[in-house]
Parts: sequence; structure tokens; C-alpha cells
Amino acid sequence: MAARMKLKLKTVFVLYFMVSLMGLIYALMQLGQHCDCTEHDLPKDRAMSRLQEELYRLQGQIRQLEKMKQPEKQPPKSSLPTIFVITPTYVRLVQKAELTRLSQTFLHVPQLHWIVVEDSLHKTPLVTNFLMKSGLTYTHLHVPTAKERKLQEGDPSWLKPRGVEQRNEGLRWLREDRRTQPGEDSQQGVVYFADDDNTYSLQLFEEMRSTQRVSVWPVGLVGGMKFESPVVEGGKVVRFHTGWRPSRPFPMDMAGFAVSLKLVLANPDACFDGEAPMGFLESSLLKGLVTIDELEPKADNCTKVLVWHTRTEKPKMKREEVLQVQGLGSDPAVEI
Amino acid sequence: MPKRRDILAIVLIVLPWTLLITVWHQSAIAPLLAIQKACHHLVKEIFIIPERLAVHHHRLSDEGAEGKRETGGQDSKEYCASDKDIVEVVRTEYVYTRPPPWSDVLPTIHIITPTYTRPVQKAELTRIANTFLHVPNLHWILIEDSQRRTPLVTGLLRETGLNYTHLNVETPKSFKIRGDTRDPKIPRGTMQRNLALRWLRETFKNNSSQPGIVYFADDDNSYSLELFEEMRSTRKVSVWPVAFVGGLRYESPKVNAAGKVYGWKAVFDPHRPFAIDMAGFAINLKLILSKPQAYFKLRGVKGGYQESSLLRELVTLSDLEPKAANCTKILVWHTRTEKPILVNEGKKGFTDPNMEI
Repeated sequence: MAARMKLKLKTVFVLYFMVSLMGLIYALMQLGQHCDCTEHDLPKDRAMSRLQEELYRLQGQIRQLEKMKQPEKQPPKSSLPTIFVITPTYVRLVQKAELTRLSQTFLHVPQLHWIVVEDSLHKTPLVTNFLMKSGLTYTHLHVPTAKERKLQEGDPSWLKPRGVEQRNEGLRWLREDRRTQPGEDSQQGVVYFADDDNTYSLQLFEEMRSTQRVSVWPVGLVGGMKFESPVVEGGKVVRFHTGWRPSRPFPMDMAGFAVSLKLVLANPDACFDGEAPMGFLESSLLKGLVTIDELEPKADNCTKVLVWHTRTEKPKMKREEVLQVQGLGSDPAVEI
Repeated sequence: MPKRRDILAIVLIVLPWTLLITVWHQSAIAPLLAIQKACHHLVKEIFIIPERLAVHHHRLSDEGAEGKRETGGQDSKEYCASDKDIVEVVRTEYVYTRPPPWSDVLPTIHIITPTYTRPVQKAELTRIANTFLHVPNLHWILIEDSQRRTPLVTGLLRETGLNYTHLNVETPKSFKIRGDTRDPKIPRGTMQRNLALRWLRETFKNNSSQPGIVYFADDDNSYSLELFEEMRSTRKVSVWPVAFVGGLRYESPKVNAAGKVYGWKAVFDPHRPFAIDMAGFAINLKLILSKPQAYFKLRGVKGGYQESSLLRELVTLSDLEPKAANCTKILVWHTRTEKPILVNEGKKGFTDPNMEI
């Protein structure tokens, strides 16, 4: 019995050995031959071929564009007047968010030069880094507001005029910079004062580009109304549609007008008057530059709203404050 | 003697199998490696090209404020190694050229935005459209909370030139927020978001192989362009920090050293299954299509639990993919726009009602 068992085991062994040996030889034979592993490679191959197609297509586009660019030896700079946008900004929680979405609008506008003026003693790293990464043509300035002119915690936003020193600094830099730039082209342009929390449509910038002296248009959601607007008759501005102090020389919002660079340079003393009564800030600049009938109405004779005076809520920091007291506030190294 | 024989026997058994296995491995891996290398090369080329397509500005250099181009590295490895797609796109200053060219390679980002009529609506949609115009392969699904599609939104969408779908569904008045109270019967926008999910499932039923990412973007938030590139590589559900939510500077998922989400850095009920804001996550379209029953819960949802009502049907905590440098960067801000004071309109309305704002 034992011998028989042993014999069986031996045959099993031998059989197993033979089978595995044959399998190995078979595999070795396969290795030398063309591998048909389509299942494995097909998706990757497909991705590759798509990428290649994409590559050829894009290369073709580049060639076409380069051909088109050839006759235009002059840089596009000279064809469009530059829009100089002066934006005062100050440190608060929503600053980076506001600047981010504002820059996303500006990135669509050709020939735009963004002049950002911080209300601070030094340039902050947040704004510095942000502007570097924004992809826009910019100038980074800073000037602090005098203490007595600054809004204190709890003051309503209309109590003191904001951004006056910053806008004036922007104008000053612009005048100085243009003096050093030669050529007539560098004196062409439009100056616009854009606050960092408003909303601008892209069409607005195209409308203002053709400004000869001062152009105006309606502004939405301002002055306690759905919109404020110049009233146009016969292609000229005759009066202003506003619900608040219409007797002002220029009863409109900062976002409702643009000044041509020529006019700014020709009147080197024209700037915003911080001592002006509430709502007269815009007038303090404009009254030295134009009269009402010289104003150029834009936005389809002032019938379209292309800019909105939106304001962003102050985010609620109740829980953050509670945590700060406990020493468990969120990591201040994370920039928001 | 028998011991040696045993050992010999074991060796004879094991040897052929090990040889077989090593041989198989060799034959499978080698061609794959070749493909990967080629893949990397192609991807690098593709992502340098779009820059050259853009018109370059002459940069003025200013006092110490030299604008430098952002050179975020293309992460071609991520693309070729798996089903993930390119994470970062190199951007540079460019002229307004309508939406960026559509690429056949990038997964589409389907952005679901509920909206409703109020004075700031056009302003909000305008600026968010200006943001979206920078994002390649974006499909905007805008759902109005109204009985009919309004001409304001219809006109706006057409003018932007974006790739969009315009839907509408009215939230029954009994569900809406009463007056000024912040205690809604159902959270705002729920029915609209659910409609969008249903639309996606109906539209992409047969074509379930098309890669896509679904993101819920409210019209008053602020988004950085980097965010959209981060979410493009979502496999199931990806998450990141959101600023200005939960009464904090930011809320964020807690990520351990292994890169896995294990909790939530929040003060308001951090034990919610998903203590995250609507703007803090994105879902792969495949996941949405594979779980056709997953919707936002309409009724009986406690404040702050709306996101959880959808997410818990789709993923578990361990499946979440942290983005934004392991949840250390803020790429989206939950800003809210002030309600404009329209006091001077008076009872009868002062301004021309025909003028669209």
C-alpha cells in the first residue's frame, strides 16, 4: 500500500513538473513574438493620438497667427488708447477677494494699465504678490490717509470721503510718468477711477476709450436708487437724474465718468478735494476741467447701465473672534 | 536524506512558477513605460502653446513693481500617470478673445449656478461671467428661480459668449424665505441645483465616458482662476478651504500627513458628516451619473447640512481628495453683496422701470 502511494506521489510530481516546464517554454516563446496587449494600451494610445492631433492643430494655429502678425510690424499698443484705471484699496478681510474678481474683469480689456494705490504706510505683501501674479500691466503705489480723515470703527461709510489721497496720488504719478515718456502716443489715454468693490461690464471700457474730454454714463444701484444717470437731449447732457442733492455741480458717482489723459495732463493742479462736503468729491475734480455741456454721453446716450455700485458685506467673524480669545484662531499664515 | 529530498521537491515546485511570473511582468511593463514617456512629452508641448497664441503686451516696468509672468509648472506627470488630467495651466496676460479655445483633452467643468431676480442680479452675473470667460472647457448651467426664463438672463448669457445651458424652476412660495428671516423652509437654490443634476443625468446618459466635473458656484462668491484648474483632476469628490464661512476667516478640511481628509476645521457643528460649504467641493460627473438617486435633500434639512445631504450618498470621508496644496491655500471666498439701499426710489419708483439694471 505504501509503495503504491509513493508511486502515485511520484507520478504527480513528475506530471506537475512537466506541465510547469511546458508552460514556461510557452511563455518564453510568447515573449519573442508580437504582443497583442491591445486592451491594456488602447486607452493610453487613444489619449496619445488625441494629444498629437491637438498639438498639430495648435501648431497650425500658431503658424496662421504668426503669418497674420507679420504685416503688422507696429506693436498693437499704438492702435488703442490706454485706459488708466486708478483703484484705491485698503486692508480688510475681503480685500483679496475683491481685487481677484476685479482683475478677472480687467484681464479681458486690452491696453489697460491698472494703478493700484494702497491706503497704507508701506506696500503690503498681499497686494504686491497679487499684482505680480495677476497678469496685468500695473503700477503699485501707496499713500496713507491722515488719521483725522480716516473712518473709524463703527463710522458709517458715508461719514468721510474715502480714497481721496490715493486717487490724487494716482493722478500725480500719472502726470509725472507721462512727462518722462516721449512721443504723442503716450499722451493718449483715458483715466478712470474704479473702486475695488464695484462691478464693471466689459462694454464700459470700450465706451470710455473714445473720450475726448470727459465722458459720462449711468451707474446702477447708487444714490439710493436703481441707477443714477445723466439726462441726454439732442446728444448733449442737459441735467442729471438723481434722487440725492441734484443741485451739485456734477451729481454723479466716481464710477460714472472718465477723463481723457490729455485733460488731466493739461490741468496739472486738478485733483480731488478731501475737504469737500459729502457727495461733492466728484464735482471737486470735474468743475475745474469741464462744463456740463462739454460732457460726452456714452452707453447709448445714457440709456444703458454698464457699471454697478455694488458693495460687499463685511463677513461675520463672530466665531473667529471667540476662538481668537481662546488662542485657537485660524492660522494667520493662511492668506485670505 | 529525506529532508534534503523534501527541500529539493519544494524548490522544483516553486521555481517554474517564479520564473513564469517574472517573465509575464517583464512583457507587460516595458511597452507601458515607453508610452508614458511619449505622453509626457506631448503634454508639455500642448501646454506651452496656448500662451503663444495669446497676444503679448509690452509690459511697462515700474518702480520696484515689475510684473512677472506666473510660471506655474505644468504637471504632465499627473496627466500621463493616471486618468487624472492636467492640474495647472500657465497663464499670462492676454487680450480679450472671448472664451478660451475649447480643448478636446481637458475635462469639462459644469458649473451649476442658481440665481433669482433682485437688483444686484445682473451685476453679479456680469462679474461672474467675466471670471468664467477665462476658464477653458467651461459649461455654465444657470438655473433661474422663476416661472419663466427672464429676458435679462437670456440676453446676458447670449452676450457673454460662454457655453451655457439656461434652465428655470420656481421654488413654491411656501418654501421660500419669509421676509428677512434667515430661517428658510428649504435652503435657497436647492430645487434649482437638483434640476441641474437631473438635467446632467438626462443629457449624459448614453455618453457616460465624457469626462466632466460638477461644481456648485453661487453668483455672489469670488473665485480665483487657479481653483478651476485644481478641480479638473477630481476623481470622485475633491475638497478645499473656503474663506468667510461659518463665522470664521475660513473653514477647511483637516488633512493628515498621508494626504487624506479625516475631519473638518470648523466651529459651527464640526461633526456634520461633511462640514463644508457649497463652494468647497467638486464632484466628478461619472460619480453623479453612477448614483442617479443622489440629490440635495429638500425638506427636513438642518442649517448647514445641505451639502452633507448630497455628499453622503456619493462618497465617504476617506474618498475625498484634498486640493489647494493639501487644503492650505484659499482659492474661493464666500463673499456676499450688500442689499442696495433703494430708499430714494420711493413708493412709485423714481427711475425709469424700463432700464435694465
